[in-house]
Amino acid sequence: MICENCKERPASITITQESVVGSLERHLCEKCAFQSQTFHFDPNQEPLSIQQFLSHWFSGSDPFQVQPQTRGESIEGPKCPSCGLTFPKFLDIGKFGCADCYDTFRGSLPQVFGKLHNGHSTHTGKVPVSFNELYAVKKKIEEIRVKMKEAVEAEHFEEAAALRDEANTLKEHLSLGGEEDDVN
Amino acid sequence: MSIEKFMRNAVTPWMTAYGEHSDIVMSTRIRLARNLTGYRFPIAFTEEEAMAVDRAVTGVLLDTMQSGYSYTKMSDLPALERQVLVEKHLISPQLATPDRHGAVLLSEDETISVMVNEEDHIRIQCIYPGLQLEDAYKQADQVDDYLEKELPYAFDEDFGYLTSCPSNTGTGMRASVMMHLPALTMTKQIDRIIPAISRLGIIVRGSYGEGSEAPGNVYQVSNQTTLGKTEQEILMDLENIASRLIGHERKSRELLLSKSRIALENRLFRSLGTISYARLLPSGEAARCLSDVRLGIDLGIIQDVDMSILNELMIFMQAGFLQQYASTELSQEERDIFRAKLFRERLNVEKPSPPTEINSEE
Repeated sequence: MICENCKERPASITITQESVVGSLERHLCEKCAFQSQTFHFDPNQEPLSIQQFLSHWFSGSDPFQVQPQTRGESIEGPKCPSCGLTFPKFLDIGKFGCADCYDTFRGSLPQVFGKLHNGHSTHTGKVPVSFNELYAVKKKIEEIRVKMKEAVEAEHFEEAAALRDEANTLKEHLSLGGEEDDVN
Repeated sequence: MSIEKFMRNAVTPWMTAYGEHSDIVMSTRIRLARNLTGYRFPIAFTEEEAMAVDRAVTGVLLDTMQSGYSYTKMSDLPALERQVLVEKHLISPQLATPDRHGAVLLSEDETISVMVNEEDHIRIQCIYPGLQLEDAYKQADQVDDYLEKELPYAFDEDFGYLTSCPSNTGTGMRASVMMHLPALTMTKQIDRIIPAISRLGIIVRGSYGEGSEAPGNVYQVSNQTTLGKTEQEILMDLENIASRLIGHERKSRELLLSKSRIALENRLFRSLGTISYARLLPSGEAARCLSDVRLGIDLGIIQDVDMSILNELMIFMQAGFLQQYASTELSQEERDIFRAKLFRERLNVEKPSPPTEINSEE
């Protein structure tokens, strides 16, 4: 028998791979067998691949989905104008093809992200300054408001007043410099 | 190649046993995923787009005043050298596939690596020794700030940084710590801890192998989610979990010592004997013995062996490094022979002159 991998050297080793999908026997030569066994450190490796995760979820293997007849329906939906990806294809490969995919599938994404990120679908972290100063200021005001509310609840009224002033200054800044620029 | 020369070229800062809790935390790694607007993601882009992205990112980084970055195109690098970079954790296995126009920019001390055209256009990665989440993030954030000033990032008001994989969308940040947890493994507590932690959005898995197998009892602990939490919150959660794991590991070590000291000493010294004298050393056995020896050092049972031995040899015992050390292609058995030789020589290097550069206070 010839090695399945390099198709050059004779296969001398049989490897049984156990995975989520079942076990698979592979006949390899010593060289390829070793390579498949070495320590492949992959920091990005997920215990269950995104593809598997999404396809299991969407293909109706979910025990909560009681109506199998909906599976027959076509769910093609919109197609990304930049890279041509469709939503079913996205679920299939588990990857976006470009930044425009996010806009194209915007409506369905909160559900996808919710599953992947413990119910969250909105970004609250770092914002690039260059992206949109307006947006950054808006986020900042929101943050201040939350802090202000906490301060009021804790009866730290001086702190709350200071926060209110800070928010007002930012708002002025917005109304002065904010109108002319839009997302471009 | 002599062992001294090999080590000079191969040791990278994160492999030194330095930094907080370095007896248990081997290294800390931060990775930020970023994409540029106007180009499709690597999964869908054309060669022209790939080259344009490469030029843009490389241009900015090589221009920095304090630059010190060196640029390497994957397709220019022989397979063995690519494999060595992967084994050193400086690039991902995915980037090492040469037909994808990938490139890497490495800082002089190899602490920062910026991968171009991996799964995303840009992957900023910082690796520090020990538990240094805050510092590693600061470093990565700085590189990100610098790139952001010059390059238009793909960013969305709702979804944050747009990435090719939906599991990275949002902060695009993956923070991870590599931990040596032999006592939790020996006492089987780790099997109960892993599922509990996963409910908190943090995953624990074996670092080097596939699945939950953890050769050398080295585990990687990292954040699973990237949306809905700020970078600081993610780092704090991870730090919190890591500290708890450290506490549990320490307690289990004490327990092992007090309950079965002789049995433990016996096991650790036998492992030291194996890596000191073996003539054939398969990788599984090598990893197990290394873990034992490192535990022996941490507990003060084994003396005169440097702490960084585990960090280094776990890396050097892999196929790519061994072949570089031997300067030739090796069969499986030859690798076991060379691995044994490398271990013996590495242990001998220590004895005449202990390393003077890092004076880690106990």
